[in-house]
Amino acid sequence: MIKGYDLPAQLESEISGLEELLNKYKRGEISATELKAHRVPFGVYEQRQADTYMVRIRCAGGFISPEQLEGVSTIAQEFGIGDLHLTSRQELQLHYVKLDHIIAIMRRLLGIGLSTRGGGGNTVRNIGAQADAGIDPQEVFDVSPYVEALTTRLIAESDSWNLPRKFKIAFSGSIEDKGYATLSDVGFIAKIKDNKKGFKVYAAGGLGAKPAVAKLLLDFIEADEVYAVAKALKTLFFKYGNRKNKHAARLRFLWLNLGEQEFKKRFDEEYALVKAQKLVPLAISSEAESVIDQSVAGQSLQTPDFLLWRTRYAHPQKQKGLFSILIPVELGFISCANALKLTRFLKIFGSDVLRMTKDQNFLVRNIHEKSLAEAYNLLKEALPEVSQPALYGKILSCAGASTCQLGICYSRQAARAAMNELKKSGLDLDKIGEIKINISGCPNSCGQHPAADLGFSGKALRGGEALYPAYNIFAGAVIRDGETKLAELIGEVPAKALPLLVKDFLARYIGQSGKFVDFQQYFLSEGRSVLKEIIPRYAQVPKFEEDKNYYFDWGETKLFSLAERKAGECSAGFFDLLEMDLRNISKTQAALSAEGNDQIRKEKLLGELVFFASRVLLITRGLDAKSEEEVYAGFLKHFIESGLINQSFQNIVAAARVKDIKAIAARESEALDLGKAVLALYETMDNTFNFKTEVARQGSVQKTDAPAVVKDFRGVACPLNFVKTKVELAKLKPGDLLEIWLDDGAPIENVPGSVQAEGHKILAQKKTGDYWSVIIEKKG
Amino acid sequence: MSLSEEQIDRYSRHIILSDVGVEGQEKILSGKVLIIGAGGLGAPAALYLAAAGVGTIGLVDDGLVELSNLQRQVIHFTPDVGKPKVLSAKEKIAEINPEVKVTTYQERAYSGNIAKIIQDYDFIIDGTDNFPAKFLINDACVLGAKPFSHGGILRFEGQAMTYLPKEACYRCIFGAPPPKNAVPTCSQAGILGAVAGMLGTIQAAEALRFLIAKGELLVNRLLIFDALRMSFRQVTFKRNPHCPICGENPSIKQLIDEELPACDLKKK
Repeated sequence: MIKGYDLPAQLESEISGLEELLNKYKRGEISATELKAHRVPFGVYEQRQADTYMVRIRCAGGFISPEQLEGVSTIAQEFGIGDLHLTSRQELQLHYVKLDHIIAIMRRLLGIGLSTRGGGGNTVRNIGAQADAGIDPQEVFDVSPYVEALTTRLIAESDSWNLPRKFKIAFSGSIEDKGYATLSDVGFIAKIKDNKKGFKVYAAGGLGAKPAVAKLLLDFIEADEVYAVAKALKTLFFKYGNRKNKHAARLRFLWLNLGEQEFKKRFDEEYALVKAQKLVPLAISSEAESVIDQSVAGQSLQTPDFLLWRTRYAHPQKQKGLFSILIPVELGFISCANALKLTRFLKIFGSDVLRMTKDQNFLVRNIHEKSLAEAYNLLKEALPEVSQPALYGKILSCAGASTCQLGICYSRQAARAAMNELKKSGLDLDKIGEIKINISGCPNSCGQHPAADLGFSGKALRGGEALYPAYNIFAGAVIRDGETKLAELIGEVPAKALPLLVKDFLARYIGQSGKFVDFQQYFLSEGRSVLKEIIPRYAQVPKFEEDKNYYFDWGETKLFSLAERKAGECSAGFFDLLEMDLRNISKTQAALSAEGNDQIRKEKLLGELVFFASRVLLITRGLDAKSEEEVYAGFLKHFIESGLINQSFQNIVAAARVKDIKAIAARESEALDLGKAVLALYETMDNTFNFKTEVARQGSVQKTDAPAVVKDFRGVACPLNFVKTKVELAKLKPGDLLEIWLDDGAPIENVPGSVQAEGHKILAQKKTGDYWSVIIEKKG
Repeated sequence: MSLSEEQIDRYSRHIILSDVGVEGQEKILSGKVLIIGAGGLGAPAALYLAAAGVGTIGLVDDGLVELSNLQRQVIHFTPDVGKPKVLSAKEKIAEINPEVKVTTYQERAYSGNIAKIIQDYDFIIDGTDNFPAKFLINDACVLGAKPFSHGGILRFEGQAMTYLPKEACYRCIFGAPPPKNAVPTCSQAGILGAVAGMLGTIQAAEALRFLIAKGELLVNRLLIFDALRMSFRQVTFKRNPHCPICGENPSIKQLIDEELPACDLKKK
């Protein structure tokens, strides 16, 4: 029976190690950056609010015993934390934790068999599984014991905490792939072959900023080999994964870079090595039924509200006579007080009764049919949400810009706004059945929009000069062994109109739902065109002067802005802005090449072309120009003076800067060439926003000159590392080279940019081991 | 000059500024600033200049610390009452930044000593509280070709300007001191302590920007603020060809002490 993973023996001393670092940090002996490098792999993230932390607790396959849930709620309350949060990866999170309480909380969790190790950072993350593993009538066999045993094994291995990027493993019990094996770094799908239990193995998939469906790696492995396969893949990733660019580091990028053949070849090598070690297979606990005989007196209830609840939330298990109950937890937040009420109710049913689902709800299992009425009565008192249609619990959202440092839009507030719109609508939401409505606050997929029936990902659009919050609309994901496909991009909608669009679309689906087996079928036959047809009705954004509402995000009293996002990590969110101007350029180019433009129109188009061409790439230099003047000044400085764009374009940009339309028109061919030059430069851009010409220049310089001075600024925190760089530069003559060594993280993300902003040139930066070497040419 | 590790750390927030940098900080460290008057204006100016690392600070004041000074002269503390102001200020500067060299002049600046005192300094801060002293400092700086910052405060108001040789001077605007009792002095009119702090730090910023040679000093313009409404404005002016000290035919050829207006409220 499932009782949760075992804690490794060294965990206690690892926590003491972290405690020591925290103390050093408090005494000022180590930097915040250094502490961060150690606390994040322990599942401790800083929230947007400074000095406030989030602690993520590993719950293998979403399992947590009622005793553990009770323990977590009690600990949280003792440290002044009001809510527990269920994550979309089936973990529990505590928010608003104070730095001083982190260690105490970890030790208390250890006492109830829970660990936060691997809750974040470049580590083996929580292993996921379908929440109804062990009770699903469709499953081939119960995968839970494998999840539990593989977790126990991997969290005891030190190389699990030092991978190139995060590493997510998932299990599904059937080809329905409810555990998202086909969307994970490593996925196992239960399969029986020749009467032997085993798994189909997928690899190199995942959500995230550039989501990918996993590829089939092995058609069948025997159940005993799960550990060896997982370990071989982990080692493969450890050895060959990209440690330089965290935006292209997940296992799927290794597959992409090596190609299928080479990836599989190297996997085979690692797999052979692991097998040669003759490691003990996972210790699999027996799958014996773990149901407590529930001797509560059966109670028969026929009230309409009970029957409605039962249709909505109770589902028969594969074990005859037993039921699972879904407990909706709106957006994954449950107060500690309510969690405690829930545990009191659950404890009488044994310890293996609870899982957390991927849509951030609780799934209670092993309830006798005769106990359903009693369960309903107890739940109704404790958690009033159980009387709502199931849809509300299923709307999934990431934390969004309210607490996440990467968020663009306030996704959680948008989800709430959508729920409110649906509540007002009077629609019969029970007719919707299973549907995944997933909202991410930025293009990273924490809200799992690529896996949604109807998904949204936050972005910024421009209405005139002002930015407003908006979402890309995705729909039609299929998740199933061999058929998985990501939701397709259908269009975009201003954040303000998202709830109306959801309501409108669902109303149309409800009207037709009788005709289709499920939403996926509806989408394929009618839904896609219906959605495409209604999107334009919500696309209109009034000018800022006419209606400012569109320029505020849901739940926000401040104008929408990207300013608070952390630089360096925001590349994903800015691609949309870049693409918008690329489209503007090609549209203008097309309009200019059309026949019959009169002089006035032609002048206007040429002016626009120069403007868009000057603006499009500014964000690659970290500039968010707020006026025309800033656009031209930024372009002149960062593209023309820096030599990325030929100096001969200086005059036409200068003419645009003073709004001299006639001068632009007189240089028509220059304007056209500028558009082309900017597009050509964009073509050479890599995913770290560097241009090939820069890289080429770096290469040639390195060969001819070696820097005279090398300074080691590792261990020097920001901003002192920049200060010391300036001190060294001050000793040099113009044109001299300086090489500095910087730590990964904030130093490499900030110092080169600051050096550049002072007019010096960064000739090269490369990662050597765990630090960076940066070569600077002093300005002339 | 090469900065020590401790200096790099101490002045890191200066060095980060692209307009200061290592070069600017080195200029500050070798800079010499004279503060005339260790009172309401001189106190905050001295504190910030010391913290900034100005190499040599000169202090001119013949007064002793009085209890009524403490409301605004933030460099002096309660136990200093009765102590010479220049000594009290010197002690504080040593605690803020031991590497600053402090030269004290426990005397009143007058026509007989001022030319000699200012000659060793790069920049002079006028922190005095009376018109004769202000005109004397102006005249001495014009004749000695020394840049200086003028500052004046009353009740809730403050004004400041900076003189650079060959630019407009204090007399170009004001000509001569007002007649006796036409204008109340601080001791008659009162002063909000924080206003002294605002103006003293403006003067410190002028001195620092002069040392690093960055930005635009308050030259040929008078900054006036009213802290009661917290409004700032500036008046631009030009060098006056008829100015008695820097004009084409100057009438003042040597330093004079203007008459000190009689004060009704004599110091206690």
